Amino acid sequence: MKQRKSTNQSLLLGLVLATVLAIQPFTVQASEVRDFRGRATNLPKPAQRVVCLIESALSGLYMLGAQDKVVAVSTNVYQEEVHRYYAAMDPRIAGKKLPTPGNWDFVNIESIVALQPDLVIIWASQTVAIDALVDKGVAVYAVELHSFEDVFKEIGDFGVLFGKEARAGELLGYAAKELAALAESRTGLTVGDRPGVYFMWAQGAMETSGAPSTVNDLIELAGGRNVAGHMRQEHLVINPEHILTWQPQVIIMWRNPKLSPKELATMPVWQSLPAAKTGRIHELPSVFYCDLWTLKFLHAIKLIATWCQPDKFPLSDSSGSKRHLLKTLYGAELGERIPLDE
Amino acid sequence: MTNKVKIALLLLLPIPVLLGSLFIGPSVAVAPGRVIAWLAMRLGLTPADGSPAATMVQLVIEDVRGPRVLLAFLVGGSLSIAGVALQAMFRNPLVSSYILGLQSGTAFGAALALCTAWLPVQLSAFVFGLLAVFTSFFLARKDGKISSVTLILSGIVVTGIFTALLTIVQVLTDPFKLQAVVHWTMGNLHTASWAKLRTTWWLMAMGIGGLFFFRWRMNVLALGDDETRAVGLNPERQKAWLLLFSTLAASAAVSVAGVIGMVGLVIPHMVRMLIGADNKMAVPVCFTFGGAFLVLVDNISRTVVTFEIPIGIFTTLIGGPFFILLLKKAKIGWELE
Amino acid sequence: MKMKNHDSAMAIHISNLSYRYGNQAVLEHIDVDIAAGRFTVVLGKNGCGKSTLFRLIAGFLKSNDGEISLFGRSIATFSDRERARILGFLPQHHRPVFPFTVLDVVLTGRAGHVQFTPKEEDRLLAHQALVRIGITALERRLFTELSGGEQQLVMLARILAQKPQIILLDEPISHLDFAYQAKVMNIIGELVRENITVVAILHDPNIAALYGDDFLCLKDGRLIDGYDRRQLPSEVLEKVYGIKLTVIQFAEKNLVMPTRKVDHAVDD
Repeated sequence: MKQRKSTNQSLLLGLVLATVLAIQPFTVQASEVRDFRGRATNLPKPAQRVVCLIESALSGLYMLGAQDKVVAVSTNVYQEEVHRYYAAMDPRIAGKKLPTPGNWDFVNIESIVALQPDLVIIWASQTVAIDALVDKGVAVYAVELHSFEDVFKEIGDFGVLFGKEARAGELLGYAAKELAALAESRTGLTVGDRPGVYFMWAQGAMETSGAPSTVNDLIELAGGRNVAGHMRQEHLVINPEHILTWQPQVIIMWRNPKLSPKELATMPVWQSLPAAKTGRIHELPSVFYCDLWTLKFLHAIKLIATWCQPDKFPLSDSSGSKRHLLKTLYGAELGERIPLDE
Repeated sequence: MTNKVKIALLLLLPIPVLLGSLFIGPSVAVAPGRVIAWLAMRLGLTPADGSPAATMVQLVIEDVRGPRVLLAFLVGGSLSIAGVALQAMFRNPLVSSYILGLQSGTAFGAALALCTAWLPVQLSAFVFGLLAVFTSFFLARKDGKISSVTLILSGIVVTGIFTALLTIVQVLTDPFKLQAVVHWTMGNLHTASWAKLRTTWWLMAMGIGGLFFFRWRMNVLALGDDETRAVGLNPERQKAWLLLFSTLAASAAVSVAGVIGMVGLVIPHMVRMLIGADNKMAVPVCFTFGGAFLVLVDNISRTVVTFEIPIGIFTTLIGGPFFILLLKKAKIGWELE
Repeated sequence: MKMKNHDSAMAIHISNLSYRYGNQAVLEHIDVDIAAGRFTVVLGKNGCGKSTLFRLIAGFLKSNDGEISLFGRSIATFSDRERARILGFLPQHHRPVFPFTVLDVVLTGRAGHVQFTPKEEDRLLAHQALVRIGITALERRLFTELSGGEQQLVMLARILAQKPQIILLDEPISHLDFAYQAKVMNIIGELVRENITVVAILHDPNIAALYGDDFLCLKDGRLIDGYDRRQLPSEVLEKVYGIKLTVIQFAEKNLVMPTRKVDHAVDD
């Protein structure tokens, strides 16, 4: 039964968190932390100079209060979509003072080595760069995120790697609490209560996610039902006929600069769907606030929960709750500085 | 079966294929019986049924399958007819618009548009496709004369340039946009819509119409430049017209459906094997047969898996081995220049 | 536009024609009249400019030095189509690529008369051309499957489909076997008797002598002068080919054979 499953899911998440919290401060040393490849980082002590090539991981570092250890960032941090948030938190980024030796695609090994980092945070798929760095004797933490559990692992590992175990514990505790609250409010939801939700990626109207996937978890946790959930692929392109068969009641668009919910509602085929007719096409408003690769996914879940179950999760004071989220995650001081985008 | 009968059948082929393809699709809910009911309603034989089920069937057929099948037909026909014209023009049956850089130009145009927010993809692809071919053309021109060899050589150069530019765009963009570029390049008809048809059908029609007029002159050209001049036609001018029309049709087709390989190359061969090399008949048959062919291949791609696989994969997997077979057979008696 | 056929008219009049290719002089000061309704043969060694001369007459090349006119009208005033309705040209090499039927190949000869697509009357004329050459049996055969000789006959039929008054043939029998050489030469003879002007480049002076009416000899881009062009004296031939020749008389014709022990130093 579906509602049991997602309640179980949240409980399981909470359990994982509790275990992680319980074990870590006592047994894990920085050198023993294993990254997503399963390899130990072999850091003798907490990192002092880190090159962070993943923007979402960088967010995590700010949340942990370890940003002063960052000596270089990825190129997209300076791009329009996210720059202003980081600029508000850090004058070095505002002034574009931090070097940008790479991103998800290209990596300049020489620049990184010249910075003499003791740790590089990089996507696990960049195997060639990783090998080159390891060869030069640089410690690497490789990231691969497929689920919210993975996000928790990342935060927990960073906590140990940067000597911020306590703060990591706070963050994960907060997340566990939020998820538990969500789970509770979802008890008693039957399949019929869950609206069919179609999630649309920005690359194309027909691009969605099946299961298992982060999107699927997102929708389930928020009290909806992924109409593409029976497709066994994380990212796929579907035939428009499917959408007509599924008749989703809610459509959630990932932030899309080329198409707005209003436009979508007037397009042929889409306009006949219940979601269009009842005005339940929504767009996740921000790549920064809704980043599924950080703890900010909690914000995305809340938004989606409101859209799926407007009675159970009425629209709260959004700027107030945003501010609260920011201060909880980024700390009181940084959280105050980040612009709200209203 | 006489040739005349074969030709007639091939020209009429689209009708059953297009109609039949409306029955094909992944939705179980749109059963053949319902399609027939829809047809009856459309023909005025039965009154409209306002039930949600019938409305959905109507939507699927009229807004999803209909434009897709039509678009597949037009695209397949355009690519095939452009292929047969280019083969006559180059006196080489192994030629297609690939060789003039059309596909790499359109791919670059599309990639550029996909990676910038403000450029419309179709328009950009179309324009750069034209640009690539005309660059090849003007590079090869010398004193008003164009030899096939220099045209092919400039085509290779232009292809290389646009491929390099495409690579630059790919390197500088994020993985999501990159994925979109790759998807586009592999050919896709799943985003077919009446809007897309409206923007391109007239361009394809212009190209197809022009080539239809020039079809007999392709016979003349195919015998050689001197032979063409001897009977009173200026070969350079004929080639220029053929190039213009075939590029219009092919670029419009690729800009709306992505790069679909093998069609422009293989269909003319199949048609020549079936009805002979006379372009007077081969040209219209290439259009109808090539169009029907792509519709049938798209039917396969629509039903074999539940998610969308780019159609270019199917045409290459089916067309490639077939082409090798053709090369081995070589019974048709053509020789390479 | 049909040209009036004068009795002793000049089909082709060439005056002071010169042609350079880059820095190289290919033809120099060609002055000649080619009579209508006769078979004129052009002889010369390879590279003496014969093909270039033909291409100039056929309008493929343009020269700024000199004048060429067909039946009194300068070729510069002809459009491609108009010229194709008067003059047919068979280039030297032909490589067929596509398996067209013989009828389709001959039909392409009508391009100068046809708008975009040939009509029934064009098909009729093409068929008649096949009849005239005597190859109707080949009508539905694929051109690429024919022998060299058969292909050449088809190309002749193609020219006939143009209904020309002048036919230029660049080495029409060089690649044919003995029997087909005779066939083609006989057909040329028949065409001339129907008052078509035929000018052909031939490589064999004996065949030329046997069938030709008038003879032009080119050497190093110039026409050899000083002899009655209705004859083909062996001295002229010796000049043309630069070898000593032995003459054999046969049925009032002079045939030539290279003298044994050829001395390459015999050059003019």
